[in-house]
Amino acid sequence: MSLQTYLNPGLNRTITRFRLSVYIWLILLVLALLALAPINSLLRNSLGHFYLPDKPVMPFELNLAEVFLANQEILSPYVGFLLTLMLLTGLIFTFLSAGLFGRMLSPDPVVTLREFLSDGARHFWKFFLSLLVFLPFLAVLLILFRLLTAPLNLWSSRAVTEWPVIISANLRMLVLILLWTAFKLFLDLTRIIMISESKKVIPAYVSALRFLKRHFFRFWGLYLLLGLAVIIISAFWFFIMRLIPSGAGPGVLAFIFLGQIYIIFRVLARQVFIGVEYAYYLRQKGE
Amino acid sequence: MKKPGLSKARPVFRLWLILFLACGLAAMADDRPVRYDLKVELIPETATLQGKETIVWTNRTADYIPDIQFHLYWNAFKNERSTLAQEASREKIISRYRAKKDEWGWIKLVSLSTDSGLDLMPAATFISPDEPHNPDDQTVLRVELPEPLAPGQSITLNLEFQAKVPGSGLRTGHYRDGFFIAQWFPKPGVYEEGRGWNCHEYHLNSEFYADFADYRVEITVPERMVVGASGEEVARRDDPASGKTTYTYVQQNIHDFAWTASPRFVKLERWFRGEEEVTPEEYRQMAELLGLSPQELKLPDVKMILLIEKQHQNQAERHFRALRAALKYYGLWYGPYPYRTITMVDPPYRTGSGGMEYPTLFTAGTSVLLEKDVLSPEQVIIHEFGHGYWYGLVANNEFEEAWLDEGINTYSTGRVSEVAYGPGRLPFRFSGLPLSWLIKFPAVYDWQLGRVVSATVAELDPIVTASWKFFNSMSYSLNVYYRAATCLHTLERLLGEQTWARVMRTYHMRYRFRHPKTEDFIRVVNEVSGQDLTWFFKEFFFNANNFDYAIGSVETRLKPEKYQGVFDSLPTGQASSPPAGVQEKTARKKEKIYETVITLRRLGPARPGPGYGLKLRVDFEDGSSEWREWDGQDRWVRFYFEKPARVKTAVLDPEAIWLVDSNFSNNSYSSQGPGARLLTATVKLVWFLQHLLLTFSGLL
Repeated sequence: MSLQTYLNPGLNRTITRFRLSVYIWLILLVLALLALAPINSLLRNSLGHFYLPDKPVMPFELNLAEVFLANQEILSPYVGFLLTLMLLTGLIFTFLSAGLFGRMLSPDPVVTLREFLSDGARHFWKFFLSLLVFLPFLAVLLILFRLLTAPLNLWSSRAVTEWPVIISANLRMLVLILLWTAFKLFLDLTRIIMISESKKVIPAYVSALRFLKRHFFRFWGLYLLLGLAVIIISAFWFFIMRLIPSGAGPGVLAFIFLGQIYIIFRVLARQVFIGVEYAYYLRQKGE
Repeated sequence: MKKPGLSKARPVFRLWLILFLACGLAAMADDRPVRYDLKVELIPETATLQGKETIVWTNRTADYIPDIQFHLYWNAFKNERSTLAQEASREKIISRYRAKKDEWGWIKLVSLSTDSGLDLMPAATFISPDEPHNPDDQTVLRVELPEPLAPGQSITLNLEFQAKVPGSGLRTGHYRDGFFIAQWFPKPGVYEEGRGWNCHEYHLNSEFYADFADYRVEITVPERMVVGASGEEVARRDDPASGKTTYTYVQQNIHDFAWTASPRFVKLERWFRGEEEVTPEEYRQMAELLGLSPQELKLPDVKMILLIEKQHQNQAERHFRALRAALKYYGLWYGPYPYRTITMVDPPYRTGSGGMEYPTLFTAGTSVLLEKDVLSPEQVIIHEFGHGYWYGLVANNEFEEAWLDEGINTYSTGRVSEVAYGPGRLPFRFSGLPLSWLIKFPAVYDWQLGRVVSATVAELDPIVTASWKFFNSMSYSLNVYYRAATCLHTLERLLGEQTWARVMRTYHMRYRFRHPKTEDFIRVVNEVSGQDLTWFFKEFFFNANNFDYAIGSVETRLKPEKYQGVFDSLPTGQASSPPAGVQEKTARKKEKIYETVITLRRLGPARPGPGYGLKLRVDFEDGSSEWREWDGQDRWVRFYFEKPARVKTAVLDPEAIWLVDSNFSNNSYSSQGPGARLLTATVKLVWFLQHLLLTFSGLL
């Protein structure tokens, strides 16, 4: 079977449920604006009437740094605020994930905000529990990581030039990313099974393990191919973003537009992953 | 390239220059209290040194000296109880040294005797001269002399010592068979007349202080090693039987000696030719600035020796280009480099010895992956060479007044980089890969970054603080390097380019081969400028006072066309005089007049001294400008303007004289604000936060 067998249904499923990415994008935007609010207030108060001549005394970025350094006393509470927000975001995104999976796997292609939110509510608790059950698997991931990278550590510790150190640091990063993708695939599959077959958390994990025992490498290969596609598109996107001049009016608008399009792209990519995983699972399970 | 018209005169100038330098060095010879004759063998397998040392120490003071105190620096790496190790353990987040098992280093005196054979070992005891006392520290050894040394009297001491090279420690160390050897031999402190020995323990945040001396050093290493050292190599002796080679180095008039050995060095040599590197026009301009003749500024030829690791060999010309710039500008601005050689070392990998200076030798440090517009390794090369001037030649006490070399040299490095290269991008890396390949960081000058980061410690410690008495390493670094340099940049702008150039040259040439203090520098500033700038040093060097002036508020309103109330006579500008006590309407004016009130504030305790102040420039929408001056003594001042236009911008200190101001962001006002730039920054922050949240959600 070719890649198209899984890609087409996954893409179709994503396109028909495009609205999900818009809902999630909006929620992300609100959360980001909320996270930024204290800093934005500081910047407006400090620099709202700042005069920036054509030949400034120093780059504007240093003025920003100066504002932060001059107001260090607020940074500590701000970090606390940010961490609290991240925890809250964790819960919110568990809810959104539940809604995302719910709508993506639903046979009904129509997506409304109400259905998205009720799927989120319906599956939230299972998704939260699946995260808790996933924690021991994270410990396994770390153990595997240490085992697999031990030779790299040895090589790096004996190096007499920089190259082994640089190469091994980046290879360790690659190993971590690859391991993470494998474990994430496992988590995704468990959630697909939980929703599509209405299974409870532990039985879904068991089913997922059984499935992966037979299909892991092909499934993972497919996952990695999708990931590679996302990376290539992202690299191209970043290259375009670097060309945008900073400071000029049209440049700001271009940055806002392209920047937000990229965020939506990332959410869509997530949807594609879910769609393709589901298509693969259905096809392979049927065999 | 030969310059026309100079070819006939060149030999004469060279001869004159050599004679001048030789006479200068020779004249110093009789003032020097110490001579060293060292023989050392490196045993790479055990990472140990076996050394023999003959010291001729002369009492150049009027005191009768009962003892000699030695630095034994490597005992700082002996265990966790040394002063340095204890100070390092108190640094919570970042420490430049962490005591590690299996990497200890030490130095042990095996024998110590006079020329007549008198054994002085029984008279040797470790002391802890600094507060708080640490009886476990063994970096200062006091040796009681059989008789006090009379003024003018010399003593010859013969020492044998063994030393263990520490692992990748602090400024010296070894990794596999690469060695960087610094502070490796027993070295007397500095005796100060009337005050006694200046011989401090080895602290985490201090460097070194020693007398100028003549050195003759023989270094024996396995023949596979490539060696570099302070001074000039004058002899090499191979011993095929033992497979070892002995190199002999000599140098007059330096106060330290370091060396390095590694089989992975590539040794390259180039020449700095004074007459080729500097054009006649540059000599002329500099001469005019300094009030000297071009002949007085001529730079000598210097042999540049580079020991570079094979993995970095393709960067050799980048190294030489930076060193040429340093030789040129330090030479033109402060005085000609007085030695015949300079050795630049790309330090052996993982020896912890990069970015450090020794007389006639310095270490740089680079990476295999370089970025085109990031000034690394250039800035470290310029900086460490520059220490040859500030510390090497003008030999301040780095323990007690570190800013005199670090601050002045940071200032000088920034100036050389600015002239030779322009601004550089910030060198951020992730996992060894340069982030500038992906992200376009801003290009900044050294002084721009320096003033921003140093503002964070403005109220923590005075710049003139003994190194080990700073609040922590960060306060030490930011104060003695960046805040001191920022203050010097400010002083330069206050005095003007010409006066400042003359101050710096006078200070350098006057205190070459001497040990100046801060008060000497202040004296030179006052003398050359013809002003009393003592207040500047009191405010910014001897106190931790934050200098922050701001535009507090700008208020503009339309001047009322009529005033309510009872008037004895109409307000100024009225068309006619009404009877007294009668309310009267004013005549309608055709032109609108705006009243603007600008409040300036002093937010910190630091103030300009007598005769100095700040300027305010106000630009109006009709294109006109007004200037005001304020002495900055009070906490605030208000300026009033009446103009037929609104204020467009107001800038406090528009000429950016007071670089020491800790917050430039409150120094200006614009009726429109930074607009697109601030919006872009905000948009980027939002985008970054979205990505952060999305990545976090991807984990779920």
